[in-house]
Amino acid sequence: MTMETAIRLDKIVKDFEIVKGGPSSFKSTLLGFRHIRPETLRALDGISLEIGKGETVAVIGRNGSGKSTLLRIVGRVYKPTSGFVEVNGRMSTMLDLAAGFHPELTGRENIFFNGAIMGLSVSQMDRSLDRIIEFSELSEFIDAPIRTYSAGMLMRLGFAIAVETDPEILLIDEVLAVGDAEFQEKCYDRIGKFKSDGRTIVFVTHDMEAAKMVAGRTIWIDHGTVRADSNTESAVAEYMATVPKHELSP
Amino acid sequence: MGKELRELFIYKDLLKQLVVRDIKVRYRNSVLGFFWSLGNPLLQVATITVVVKYVLRLDIPNYSAYLLVAYLPWTYFQMALMDSAHVILLHRDLLRKVYFPRAVLPLSVVLSNLIHFALAMVVFFAYLLFYYFFLNGAPIMASALMLPVLVLMQTLLITGFAFFICTLNVFYEDTKYLLAVLLNVLFYLTPVMYPAELVYSRLPEAHRDLLYKLYMLLPMNTLVDAYRKTLLPPFDSATSSATTTGILHGGIRGIDVHSLPMDYGMLAVAAVVCGLVALAGYRYFIARSWIFAERA
Repeated sequence: MTMETAIRLDKIVKDFEIVKGGPSSFKSTLLGFRHIRPETLRALDGISLEIGKGETVAVIGRNGSGKSTLLRIVGRVYKPTSGFVEVNGRMSTMLDLAAGFHPELTGRENIFFNGAIMGLSVSQMDRSLDRIIEFSELSEFIDAPIRTYSAGMLMRLGFAIAVETDPEILLIDEVLAVGDAEFQEKCYDRIGKFKSDGRTIVFVTHDMEAAKMVAGRTIWIDHGTVRADSNTESAVAEYMATVPKHELSP
Repeated sequence: MGKELRELFIYKDLLKQLVVRDIKVRYRNSVLGFFWSLGNPLLQVATITVVVKYVLRLDIPNYSAYLLVAYLPWTYFQMALMDSAHVILLHRDLLRKVYFPRAVLPLSVVLSNLIHFALAMVVFFAYLLFYYFFLNGAPIMASALMLPVLVLMQTLLITGFAFFICTLNVFYEDTKYLLAVLLNVLFYLTPVMYPAELVYSRLPEAHRDLLYKLYMLLPMNTLVDAYRKTLLPPFDSATSSATTTGILHGGIRGIDVHSLPMDYGMLAVAAVVCGLVALAGYRYFIARSWIFAERA
C-alpha cells in the first residue's frame, strides 16, 4: 500500500485516575487526609492502528468501551499515558454538541469563536461564513443567542462549522444522532462528498446503518482494545453477534 | 517550549476574542460599566485618605494622589490574580471537548485586566492634568516615560503568577481562598498605603541598606515604589523647595522621613525577577496543562 497516513496510533494506553471524594485541597493535603492511593481505570489498552488519507472510518462499540477516549486522544484533548500519536493534516473535531459554543453569544459570533478555537483567523472564517450558515439552514436564527437553540439546531451549526472550514481530517463523536432524519441524511451526503475530496473522516456511531452507508472501514472497540478492524459489513456483523437480542432497536 | 509559543501565536485570534468577550461582559457594553469598575479603587482610596487624615490625623499633603498612583497598579495585580484562579474551571466544558493551547485562558485574563488598568491610568493622568492646569499642581514629569516599562514588567510578573495559580487551582480547590488571604496580607506589606521610605527608616540601622534591598527584591515593592517615583514628585519636595506649593507637592509633616531617589539598579533586578517568574510560570503550566481536560 502506498497510501499516505493521516492518523497513526502506536500502542496507545490511557489510564484515568479515579479521584474519590471530590477535588483535593491544600487543607486536606496538609492535614494528611489524602494518603489513599487513587485507583486507576484503564480506558485504552494498547491500541495500534493506522488510518490513511481519504479513508472514512466508523468506530463502534458499547458504552464505556473507550470509543470517545480514543477520539479525544486523536483530537489532542487527552494525552496518552503511554504510546505515540501522529496526525498529519489540519483537524476539525466535533466531540460534543455544544463544544466551543458560548450560550450568550449569537450563532454568528459563535461561528467566529469556534473558528478561533480551531486556530483559524477571522478573515479565514469570513470566507466560510456564508457556506456555514447555508449548510446549517439557520439563517433566520443566526443572530439570536444560541442558548435559544434546540439540540438539533446546535448540531446543525456545529456540523456546518466542522465541515465547511475545509479540514483535512474530521473527527465526529456520535453527535449526528440528534438531528432529524432529513438533516442526518444531508450530513452523511456531505461526508460522502468529503470522502470523494480525499479527506479523512473518523466517526463514532451507534447507528449501524449509517456506518454501512458511508464508512468503508469499521473499527470495533471493546474494553479498550480493538476487537475487529475490517470492512464495515463484517465488523458490524461481528459486533452485532455479541449484542443481546433485547437491546436491538427496531 | 518554542513549539508551544509558536502554536500560541497561531491562536492569537482566540486570545483576542476571549479578551473582547471578557471586556464586553465587564463593561456590559456601556461607559457606565467602566466607571462602575473604577468606582471600587476610588472608593477605597477615598476611605483610606479619610482614615489617615481625620482619624489617624497624619498631615500628608496630597496623600490621595500618592495612594492612588500605587493603588491602581495594586488593583491590577490583585484582580488579575484572583480572576486567574478560576479561569480553567470556568472553561472546563471547552477543555474537555476541544484542543487549543490552554495558555490562552490565563493570558486572556491578564490581558483584559491590563486593558482595564490602562483605562484607569488614563483617568489618573486626566486627574494629574486637571490639577496642573486648574489647581497649580506639578507638571507631569519626564520620568513618566518609564510607565510602559513598568507596566510591561508588572504584566510579566502577573502572567507568571497567573500560570501558577490557575494550575494549582485545578489540583487544589482552595487555592483561591488561600490566594485571597495572601493578597490581603501582601497589601499591607507592600508600600501602597505608605511610602517605601517609611520601611527604610524603620529598619535596624546596622544593616539598613542590605535589608532594604532584600525588601525591594520582592518585585511588587519595587514596582509600586517606581510607579510613585516616576509619576509624582518626591513627597517631601514642598519642604525642600519652598517656592512650589502646588497641590501635588508636600512632605509628611510629623513623620521624619525623606524621600529616596529612584534606584534604577534595583528596578533592573526586579525586571529580571519578573522575567524569571513569567518563564517559570509558563513552564510549570505547560508541563501540567494536558491534564486539565481530565481533572478540571
